[in-house]
Amino acid sequence: MSTRDPFDVQQKPKARAAAPRAAAAKRRNTVVGADAARIAVVLRGFAEGNYDGRVDAGAIDDPGLRAIAEAVNGAASAVVEDLRQAHQRVQIVTAGIDEAIEAMIRLVIQGDLSGSLRAGSTDSALTPLIAGIGQVMETLKKFVTETREAAMQLSTSSAEVLAAATQNESSTSAQASAIHETTATMEELKGASHQIAENAQMVAAIAEQTLSGAKQGEGAIKAFMGSMEKVRHNAVEVDDAIAKLSKRVERIGTVVEVIDEIADRSDLLALNAALEGAKAGEAGRGFSIVAAEMRRLAENVLESTKEIKNLITEIREATHAAKEASDGNKREASEGEKLGGNAMASVSGILSGIQETSDAARVIHLATQQQRTATEQVVQSMSEIEEVTRQAQAGSKQATGAASELTKLAERLAELVKRFKVE
Amino acid sequence: MTGPTSELVLFQVGPRTFAAVVHDAIRIGSVRDVPAEDLVLETALGAPRACTRGIVVASHDEAVERTLVVDQVIGTRSVPEVQVQPLPAFAAACLTSGAVTGFVLLDGDPVLLVDLPTLVREHATSAAPV
Repeated sequence: MSTRDPFDVQQKPKARAAAPRAAAAKRRNTVVGADAARIAVVLRGFAEGNYDGRVDAGAIDDPGLRAIAEAVNGAASAVVEDLRQAHQRVQIVTAGIDEAIEAMIRLVIQGDLSGSLRAGSTDSALTPLIAGIGQVMETLKKFVTETREAAMQLSTSSAEVLAAATQNESSTSAQASAIHETTATMEELKGASHQIAENAQMVAAIAEQTLSGAKQGEGAIKAFMGSMEKVRHNAVEVDDAIAKLSKRVERIGTVVEVIDEIADRSDLLALNAALEGAKAGEAGRGFSIVAAEMRRLAENVLESTKEIKNLITEIREATHAAKEASDGNKREASEGEKLGGNAMASVSGILSGIQETSDAARVIHLATQQQRTATEQVVQSMSEIEEVTRQAQAGSKQATGAASELTKLAERLAELVKRFKVE
Repeated sequence: MTGPTSELVLFQVGPRTFAAVVHDAIRIGSVRDVPAEDLVLETALGAPRACTRGIVVASHDEAVERTLVVDQVIGTRSVPEVQVQPLPAFAAACLTSGAVTGFVLLDGDPVLLVDLPTLVREHATSAAPV
């Protein structure tokens, strides 16, 4: 094999440089130019990858060109041989590569990563490839091992996640149910709070009315006590008047007694005068008539004094009754004042209690209004929480589904990874 | 009024009215002014109730005055003597007291006529210790 490079283009300028000289010598030798042209055609075919062309060196007369033609032909043959060898080597290497790749694929498909790659070709060019594939296999083995462990952990974790998600979904459902019930209860509580607030307002109004009524009652009791004081004072005055009247009546009785005594004596005198007139007979007739008249007057006086005595007796009885009535009035007035005082104390206590009740009712009214507002806010918040919980429940269901899917995927991954044997 | 008349003093003892000749009575007095031992309370005429008047009567010896307690001295009355009648014998026999001497018709009603000194004496006799 020639060591010359058939593609050495540096030689072409020389040939072309020889062309001008050949052209110059054209005149001397046109044949040389034609040979050189044939050589150039062959070289152009080489340049285009066509190594089949050959220069018929025997037909060239010029020794230089002939040598060149022979060199071209030799170079072409060498190149063809080299190409053949290279092609053969490529085929060998390609077969080795294919074998290695097929072995690797076969191992991967079989999942057996426990062994090492055994290449049928011992071409040194495959050594880096085999070494690389070995490294890939080791890396893959390590990766599969780690993936298996990760798959196992993932499976375990996904199962835990699924359990947690299921638990969470259950809890979320229970929470949503509880929140729904709580919301419903809070709605009822809201209505109850509204009713309580209205009732508290009504109680406060009634307490105010009661307070006003109690104050009026207090004023009435004060007026009653004033009246009782007047009654007692009047009873004392009536008592004094009755005492004076009684004294006057007693005085009248004394006077009447005197008058009665005088009338009685007058009657007696008239009787005796009539008696003496009668004793005197006809002479004393006129005397007897006067005496009878005097006696009639005396009897009239006695009759009048008797009536006066009866009247005095009636007046005594009446004054006695009036005195007893007055004493009764004083006792009743005193008792009334005492009862009024007790009633006043009771009403004061009641008034104080009603005042406290009214204040408490007002405070309760305010508190219930605040409670109603707070309850409405709570109901609003509970509605929002319920909505959020509903969303959380939906998310929890989705999470459970995803966890379930993840578990399945993890199991699937574990199953897949189990196919690879690494030990 | 014509003809002779009798002057009588009328008095009441209890529910009944009696008559006496005015000369039998010394005077009319008050019971309270007389000592109790001089009073003549219960007699054949009965017992007085009011005891407001006393007819002072002289006893037969006229040494002692007695006061006949009566309920009321009605007054004096002049009546015709024809209206003064003696007590019928049967009635006089029935009466235990001799003080009732007759009767007098006053306004158509008979009123017993009493001899006051006899009445006082009978009371004194009955009251005297045996």
